[in-house]
Amino acid sequence: MAVQLVVGVGGDSGGTEAARFAATVAAATQGSLVLVFGYEVSPMGPRGGALEDEIEAIGIEITDAVKAQLAASHPGLAVDVELVRDRPVESLIQVALTRGADAIVVGHGGRGPMRGALLGSITYEIVHRSPVPVVVVPEPDEE
Amino acid sequence: MSVIEHEPSGMADKGLKGGSLGLVAVIVIGVASTAPGYSLAASVGFVTDSVAEKAPFIILFAFVPMACIAAAFYYLNKADPDCGTNFTWGVRSFGPKAGWIAGWGCIVADLVIMPNLAGISGQYLVLLFDESAADNIWLTTFIGILFILAMTWICWKGIEMSARSQVLLLSTELIVLAVFAVIALSKSFGDGITRTFNDVEYSSVKPSLSWMSPSGISASSITAGLVVAVFIYWGWDTCVSVNEEAKDSATTPGRAAVLSTLILLAIYLVVTYGAVSLLGPQFVTDNADEALFQLGKAALPDWMVKLLVISILTSAAASCQTTILPATRTMLSMGSHGAAPPKLAQIDRKRLTPDFSTWLFGVGSIAWYLLLVIISNNTDTDAYSASIAAVGMAIAVYYGLSGISCIVYYRRFLTKTAKNFFLIGVLPGFGGVVLLYVFCKTVWDSRNAEYGYGTLFGVGTVLVIGTLLLVVGVPLMLWCSRRYPLFFTYRPDPADLVKDPNQADTLAAPLGTYTRSNPTGAGAGKDV
Repeated sequence: MAVQLVVGVGGDSGGTEAARFAATVAAATQGSLVLVFGYEVSPMGPRGGALEDEIEAIGIEITDAVKAQLAASHPGLAVDVELVRDRPVESLIQVALTRGADAIVVGHGGRGPMRGALLGSITYEIVHRSPVPVVVVPEPDEE
Repeated sequence: MSVIEHEPSGMADKGLKGGSLGLVAVIVIGVASTAPGYSLAASVGFVTDSVAEKAPFIILFAFVPMACIAAAFYYLNKADPDCGTNFTWGVRSFGPKAGWIAGWGCIVADLVIMPNLAGISGQYLVLLFDESAADNIWLTTFIGILFILAMTWICWKGIEMSARSQVLLLSTELIVLAVFAVIALSKSFGDGITRTFNDVEYSSVKPSLSWMSPSGISASSITAGLVVAVFIYWGWDTCVSVNEEAKDSATTPGRAAVLSTLILLAIYLVVTYGAVSLLGPQFVTDNADEALFQLGKAALPDWMVKLLVISILTSAAASCQTTILPATRTMLSMGSHGAAPPKLAQIDRKRLTPDFSTWLFGVGSIAWYLLLVIISNNTDTDAYSASIAAVGMAIAVYYGLSGISCIVYYRRFLTKTAKNFFLIGVLPGFGGVVLLYVFCKTVWDSRNAEYGYGTLFGVGTVLVIGTLLLVVGVPLMLWCSRRYPLFFTYRPDPADLVKDPNQADTLAAPLGTYTRSNPTGAGAGKDV
């Protein structure tokens, strides 16, 4: 069966390990991937224009880099990209639902459980809220 | 919510798409970013100092020009929803030089506010633990600097509080303020109380409706009060500009703006009445720095005073965010549009915040804060208190300019309909004129030592503090015009190419479409 996976990229964890894992699974099943870069600018200040243009440029850069990596490691795998202007968790769930994806794959960085609970870790939230299965992939610490 | 397909264009439509915030969220953002607890703590003493028991009048009256300017923000945002707000709108209405200065004005206004935020936070944090240490200026300054660093770090990290914690903090803040007001008012309406503080005896004054009328106050006192009070509505405009992200953008924004306004006005009014009446206006004036704390002690049980202090602190943190973010986003916009060093537009890849601008602003705020504290401590000039009085000057000048920008930008549509004339012309114009008048009057009134707070270089301190940074902008602008000549060839949007703000398509052509060599933007920037 062809498995379709939605992968969160960018942010604290980066998501490169998650993308690599998802690519392996998808390639083994002749499935496909959607890379999602979700972002929301803090509403406590003025938004739009230059700020979102700059962030979008970074989103394109990050997703392009991951896409290039996957093209090298898994040639022939269908990889789509979506940039979403919303909180990362909402973005992932929304894309997974509209695409009818089988599961969401996210990376998990070195955040401790306490900090995650206070600040709302993406991993923590998506595991509890996602209507589709979630796979959490440990990411190496970059810093 | 909007989903942007990466291919084929990559950069889909500019601006925000409707979608994710519900009514409660928009109200919470609007009220929380205005920071009622902190705003009152910072200004009720200084407003009362200017107009005594007429403080409620000033508090209400200050809302009028700010609401008028919100109309200007709303309409200008339709043409160009850019995080550079005044900067981009200034370029479109008046050209690159005026736009540059408008952007600088916004950054400066934010910078001038930072020491007050830091100072109040330092002082209230110390009050929470040891009241006697609150007069130790070095201790409170040290904590204030840590506070600025912490807030800069939070803005750089892009840490967002979850919606639930935000609602919790805000409701605690509002409830504590309301309880304070109710207890204070019931005491002053009842038998009243008497307290001796620093060897002076103060007692309650019966509140009167006449406190809401301007009768018997001089124009100078009104402007002196206003220049402090406009500050308490600072941040309220976020609620209006956040509009487009509301879930049901046809009704939510309007309703949220009205509701958040009513909540703010109500809380400001009852707390001011309570504060002024509980031990009389003289007490508030004599203890301007920590009026709310001292009054809280007189009216509330101990644990509630602690809660009041904590609310003021969390509210100061919110206010700090709504001060740092507009400043750094204006810097980013200026860098990104080629009006200033491109480094300002640098964005952290993980956190998606403008890292260079954020730290530059943080460090700049600390330097400015230290400068004020050092001047205050080593001379007879109270530069620090003067900066509180000067905050409104910076706000008045840059908000005032947006009002005028709106009229200039939409001049072709002003007389098209009565609605246009009122919403795009009369309101922004009135707000702009009042604020610019407040600015000019303050400049005139504060020119010499009689205004209070001493003098610097023989000129009134408030005037120096309120205009010094603004004036520094001129040589900086000239430096940028030499380094980044392209931006300075931009021309204002031609009046006949400005789109009707009441139609569906309101977005203006990208900044830089109209230049000296191509004033009508022919062939350029046809939205890709």
